[in-house]
Amino acid sequence: MAVPDILYVEDNEDFVDVVERAIGQIDGTTVLRTIDDGALALNTLEKLAEDKAKPKLILLDLNLPGLSGLDLLRRIKETQSLRYVPIIMFSTSDNPKDIRSSLEFGANAYVTKPLGYTNLVKCLSAMHEFWLKTSSAVA
Amino acid sequence: MTDYQVDLTNCDKEPIHIPGKVQAHGFLVAVDNQFVISYASENISAFLPTQAADLLGQKVSALEHLLLQQEETGFISQLLLLGRHTKSFETINPYKVIINRADHNLILSQTGSYFLLEFEPDSTATEVDIHKTIGRSVSEMLAGKQLKQLLDNAAQQVKQLIGYDRIMIYKFLDDGHGEVIAEYKEDYLEPFLGLHYPATDIPKQARELYKKNLTRIITDVNAESSPILGMASQGEEKPLDLTCSALRAVSPIHIQYLKNMGVTSSFSISLMYKDELWGLIACHNYSPRFINYKAREASKLIGQIISSALEYKQDEANVQKNEQFKAAYNELSDMLRKGGDIGEAITQHETNILSVTDATGAVLVYEDKITSLGQVPDKADLENLVNWLKKNMEDRIYYTHQLPEVYQPAKNFSNVASGILACTLSKEMGELIAWFKPEQLSTINWAGNPNKPVEVDAHGVMNLSPRRSFDVWQETVRNSSERWTREEIANVLKLRDEVVFAINRQANEIRLLNEKLKQAYEELDTFSFTVSHDLRTPLSTIKNYSELLLEANQSLDDDAKRILRKVIAGADKLNFLIKEVLNYSRVGRADLEYTDIDMKSLVDEIKNDLVVALNIRDLQFEVGDTPLLYGDRTMVTQVFANLLNNAIKYSAKSNPPKVRVEGKETSTEVIYSINDNGIGIDLNYYNRIFDLFKRMDNVRGYEGTGVGLAIVKRIIEKHHARIWVESELGVGTIFYVAFKRNV
Repeated sequence: MAVPDILYVEDNEDFVDVVERAIGQIDGTTVLRTIDDGALALNTLEKLAEDKAKPKLILLDLNLPGLSGLDLLRRIKETQSLRYVPIIMFSTSDNPKDIRSSLEFGANAYVTKPLGYTNLVKCLSAMHEFWLKTSSAVA
Repeated sequence: MTDYQVDLTNCDKEPIHIPGKVQAHGFLVAVDNQFVISYASENISAFLPTQAADLLGQKVSALEHLLLQQEETGFISQLLLLGRHTKSFETINPYKVIINRADHNLILSQTGSYFLLEFEPDSTATEVDIHKTIGRSVSEMLAGKQLKQLLDNAAQQVKQLIGYDRIMIYKFLDDGHGEVIAEYKEDYLEPFLGLHYPATDIPKQARELYKKNLTRIITDVNAESSPILGMASQGEEKPLDLTCSALRAVSPIHIQYLKNMGVTSSFSISLMYKDELWGLIACHNYSPRFINYKAREASKLIGQIISSALEYKQDEANVQKNEQFKAAYNELSDMLRKGGDIGEAITQHETNILSVTDATGAVLVYEDKITSLGQVPDKADLENLVNWLKKNMEDRIYYTHQLPEVYQPAKNFSNVASGILACTLSKEMGELIAWFKPEQLSTINWAGNPNKPVEVDAHGVMNLSPRRSFDVWQETVRNSSERWTREEIANVLKLRDEVVFAINRQANEIRLLNEKLKQAYEELDTFSFTVSHDLRTPLSTIKNYSELLLEANQSLDDDAKRILRKVIAGADKLNFLIKEVLNYSRVGRADLEYTDIDMKSLVDEIKNDLVVALNIRDLQFEVGDTPLLYGDRTMVTQVFANLLNNAIKYSAKSNPPKVRVEGKETSTEVIYSINDNGIGIDLNYYNRIFDLFKRMDNVRGYEGTGVGLAIVKRIIEKHHARIWVESELGVGTIFYVAFKRNV
């Protein structure tokens, strides 16, 4: 199994589709893997960790079937081998409560999903620029 | 007047049941449990060849020997044993004995541990065979349809039965005084009908005796009564209780009273109504008169028949009125049970609280409002009266027909409210209902001046004595209304229960409503969340794909592109609206986190964002003093973002747009003003600018959702702060927000 650069946990097919398109447009070489279930995502990450592999960036939606985004976040940050993988919460909600609890559980950033494809591309390329290109040095 | 008050109420203390004497027309012997003679009246010597003192201490058989010898020895003991065994002498009395060749009646009774043996003549003044006539009399009496007629008939029939000179039906009124309400008499006598007698004429303990002995005869007021001797061995003279005695001597005061009236002999029959003394059939004779035991028992029977008729007739007399009251009560309670406004239910219909009594006015004091019906005192008088009632009403009900006597200020409005009947609804809230009856000037004809019971003798010494004059003495009674009837009071109590029940039920309904409201609020929370997530997600899809299509698909022509841009613009607008509504509902459920807010940086930050967003180049933005503001940072930011957004947006077309923000501190508040030179707000809209989705006529062409000021208002309310506005069309607007200082 190829090690993804970005693991995107999202249950909305449309979002998955546009994010895939946007990432493809930004950088054709970035490997994006999407998973639509929280528990499955944790499982996948744990398997990767066994092979001493991990993604460079994790994008988490808040509302997920199986395991909620916040729970998944907590579980990842509790896992020794995964705790330094940057996690960005990527949600429609701009509720201050959601933002606060995400940061408390250790999210590295909280980004409200931008409205529209154009904004999405801008937003993702900024993320790509910062987290993928610079973080490789840290990792 | 002297300092020393003497009046006939002293009669109250006279122990009339133990006079120690008997009337002279018969004699009395009392035996103890062992049938040993313990008491005997001195006048026994007038009937039998013995002295009272000689009998004391002897067995009762000694008495038998003195009586005619044909009787078997031991008959008195046997009668006593029988009576003691059956606990009643009713079937034994009277027992015929012959004394001095004349028929006499022996009447037995028990008092404490003694047995009374009373001997009295069997001869009687009436020659009529009472038992034959009584049946006819009773049917004559009861023929009367109305109470008045019944009593008139009764007086006439009693006169025919026992033949006294004057028969009166005497009724006790509430305060104990009496009135002659029916009379049948010899023609030559002056009528007493309609005369009133003060309560003191028949003192309390006398009334008690009338309840125990339903008949009472005073044979001759001029005859010397005979003392009762007791056994010397008993040491102190222990007076014999003569409550049940037929021969009991009469109180000297009463004797004097009768003498003053010119009466020589009297007989009275008690009239009872529901175990209380309702009145008397008072029979007067102007010469000595005695009627025997049987005649007295027959009279007693008539009294009992009238008494039971009274219960029926008295009720019947008021039946019609009471039916009306009851119907009104039923209608009101139906209205109350329907729910709705309680005050309205019992005051705003044709049938209202006035209809449950004979009152001419009524007030309802409920929920801080006084609702008046009919004739009531003036507003100020009424308020004072209500306050007095609130303070002084101990029970759930209070009534008087003489309000000015207990509440002086009522003299000023006695014409509308001499009588009051009030019931509390809630003592804590001071809620009540009161009914009024007007003054009824009435004249009372007293039989003699009731206020002058004291006689002054020739030496100027005051004597306790009944009045000598029974000449009609008129008194005009003021400040009195018609009395409240038992039925009116009962109705009011029932209505009160019904109203209190309705109030409690309503309180429960409000509590339930509250619960539902809470539930709805929680549902709104869920709704907000749904809006936030479920609505925005498909909206994103619309916008994402529209943009993607626009950007990535080269085959689109210009028209298709323009249409797609419209879709995108629509999605943007929808997104903005959803966000605003979300913000609005979020204010409701958010908990406030109070902090001291640095307003300088907050205002600057907002301003910078807005200038970029609204793309205003020539804005002159001034910030004055910026005192700390105590509130929830996120929400206060929302308030200023909205107000500044409006200020900048609506002055954008001014040349140049000017906006000034400054804060001032008072002793209790921090007040910020946001002043612009924009389009202004129409005065008529001041009240409505804070309503949700309300936009003014002059803002066409300006972007907006109509949610911003509604959010501001909600936040302000949540902080218990204040907001107000000054504005002039075409000149500008100043919004003020005042937050409480941090103390």
